[in-house]
Amino acid sequence: MSNMVTQRNGIHRFFLQLGSKWAIIFLILGAILFSIISPGFLSFNGIQVILINSPFILLLALAETFVIITGGIDLSVGFVMGFASVVSAKLIALLVVMGMNDLFSIITGIVITLFIGIIPGFVNGILVARLKVPPFIATFSMLGITHGVSELLIKGVVAKNLPVLAGKIGNGSLIYIVPGKTVSFFIKPLIQRGGNLIEILPTVFVIPFIFILIFAFILKRTKFGQHTYAIGGNVDAAIRAGINVKNHLIKIYMLSSLFATIAGILYVLRYITGKADAGTGFLLDGIVAVVIGGASLYGGIGSVWKTIIGCFIILVLENGLRMLGFPTFYKYILVGIVLIFAVLVDKLFPELIHKEN
Amino acid sequence: MNNNKNSTLSVSQRLQSILAKNWAILFTLIIILIFSFTGKRFFQLANFQNILHLSTIYLLLTASETFVIITGGIDLSVGFVMGLSSVLSAKIIELLHAANFPPALSISIGSIVALIVCIIPGLINGVLITKYKVPPFIATLGMMGIANGMALIISEGFPVAYLPRVLPNIGNSYLIYILPGKAISFFSKPKGIAGEEIKELIRIIPNSLIFISIIIFILWHILKNTKFGQHTYAIGGSMDAAVRAGINTNKHLIIIYVLSSFLAGLAGVFYVFQTGIGIYTSFGAMYELLAIAGVVIGGASLMGGKGGIIGSVIGVFLLGVIENGLHLSGVDPFFRYIAVGLILIVAVIIDQSFPDLL
Repeated sequence: MSNMVTQRNGIHRFFLQLGSKWAIIFLILGAILFSIISPGFLSFNGIQVILINSPFILLLALAETFVIITGGIDLSVGFVMGFASVVSAKLIALLVVMGMNDLFSIITGIVITLFIGIIPGFVNGILVARLKVPPFIATFSMLGITHGVSELLIKGVVAKNLPVLAGKIGNGSLIYIVPGKTVSFFIKPLIQRGGNLIEILPTVFVIPFIFILIFAFILKRTKFGQHTYAIGGNVDAAIRAGINVKNHLIKIYMLSSLFATIAGILYVLRYITGKADAGTGFLLDGIVAVVIGGASLYGGIGSVWKTIIGCFIILVLENGLRMLGFPTFYKYILVGIVLIFAVLVDKLFPELIHKEN
Repeated sequence: MNNNKNSTLSVSQRLQSILAKNWAILFTLIIILIFSFTGKRFFQLANFQNILHLSTIYLLLTASETFVIITGGIDLSVGFVMGLSSVLSAKIIELLHAANFPPALSISIGSIVALIVCIIPGLINGVLITKYKVPPFIATLGMMGIANGMALIISEGFPVAYLPRVLPNIGNSYLIYILPGKAISFFSKPKGIAGEEIKELIRIIPNSLIFISIIIFILWHILKNTKFGQHTYAIGGSMDAAVRAGINTNKHLIIIYVLSSFLAGLAGVFYVFQTGIGIYTSFGAMYELLAIAGVVIGGASLMGGKGGIIGSVIGVFLLGVIENGLHLSGVDPFFRYIAVGLILIVAVIIDQSFPDLL
């Protein structure tokens, strides 16, 4: 085997190298292509728009990454996101009505929602790990349950009456620059009408990105991450290696629900409403992003960084097509084709996978 | 003594296993009984016919999913292939209708073209899955996006609505109409009745029931009594064994996915007949997931090799009765989603607890 590798010439290795990086090359080429066709694409605002639209798909894809690496799947994240958006919106509105200060009720509402939002994941974990229900079925059931419960909470409409402050947080940015004058963080400086204000890094992007950094580190460098790969690679081997597989899986599904919950909370801060179907559509994009990123649904393969590349491929396609004036319809087709292409690359060039692991 | 115990099941054990094996139908009967008390006008011929009529689409999709799941695969594209077929057939009918073609001709052309086109997604799914070893989940997920996009492009994001009036009449009429003591007619209402009399009219056997019964019977026969059916179970039971037994598994699987897509197409065409419009499938509809739920409640395993048409029909019927019964009992319709989730979990746990049933 090692002989074969050394015998390979430089060109072959170069192409192999190229093939294993096809996703990022595809992303860059796509970005270049779109910026040539539509000039505004790579502008400052064009990039901001992509970043503002990214948090939901990033968080749901991050959730799927962990689950898919263990060889499972979580269909419930979309409606857990909706559930969390409804619960947090309801809680915050309730706390404000009870006379609590706006900021404090937002913070309290979010903290409580984070705890409630983990429950679906906990139940998923119990079903999958202890009761041996296939992940597809267990999480689909949870999809139905969270959907039903959130619709019941808002009686089929949307949760409203949130304080204005929530929208300010959700639509704010990390850095504000008034050219030549001041720079401020998180708080929008007061400017005159028509004055020049540059907003950099939307908050809704910064928050998930911090999570992503943390969990990319956890998956890559910690024992928790190693165990996740081990379970996905071979459950029996993982058990023999002394990993508490059941507990670990429960944690993974709770983590998945936690990410979805954060996505739901961000949705509320961004749109100032809670909706039961807030996450519909993001679920599939999330799974697709993970697979485009090279993860295998059989488990054991995948990484947070590659998932992010997958997410941005979808976002670039979506945004580029929109800027060119195509309706969203074409995005569905292109994403479907890219998804199949991603798997075909892996199947036709199996060396790519082995080389990396 | 011990040997006896092991070789023959005790009465209670046998009873338990019969209960577990037929839990879905028992459960359906029990909830029908409950809804008969709680639901207004639930236990009536008209209502049961209504449940069946509204279940037709799910029956078609679930039947298609049954074949795929028995082979150990999954087809996530059926819901959106259905939308594609609905939009495509409606668009063709609309165009021909606008060009003054007779309704019968335009409806036939539209339906047949849509059915033929809907074979393509299945063919691509099958080739990707067999020749290129793409996991069914991913191949059909990709196809789902593509079919969805196509349907949206064809319909431009709006329902296709300018169709001949006769369409919903065909889809929603009944075989027999009886006006007690006065008139009886077939396929359409007796002539010259109006006003109060229309309330007394008894309608028996919706056309959709005849249509779906024929389809289901054919599929049941194929799966139960033919070599094709045997091979389907064999592939799901053990792919390697099926290959060694000389089954052309690739060809067989391609046919299965084509069949699945075709049935989804049929559901789309039926949808046009039922509602009189063609419409794309929205993301929230989750037809494919509900169809899979029906199959699993019917006793199939996602691992393959298990399941059957009858079970799937019971699964769909169970979901239909719950939706209808909750609605008529005045319960918030959103409890339905929760009920589906809970029943699905129960189905799998019962299946896990009695692994030696099939």
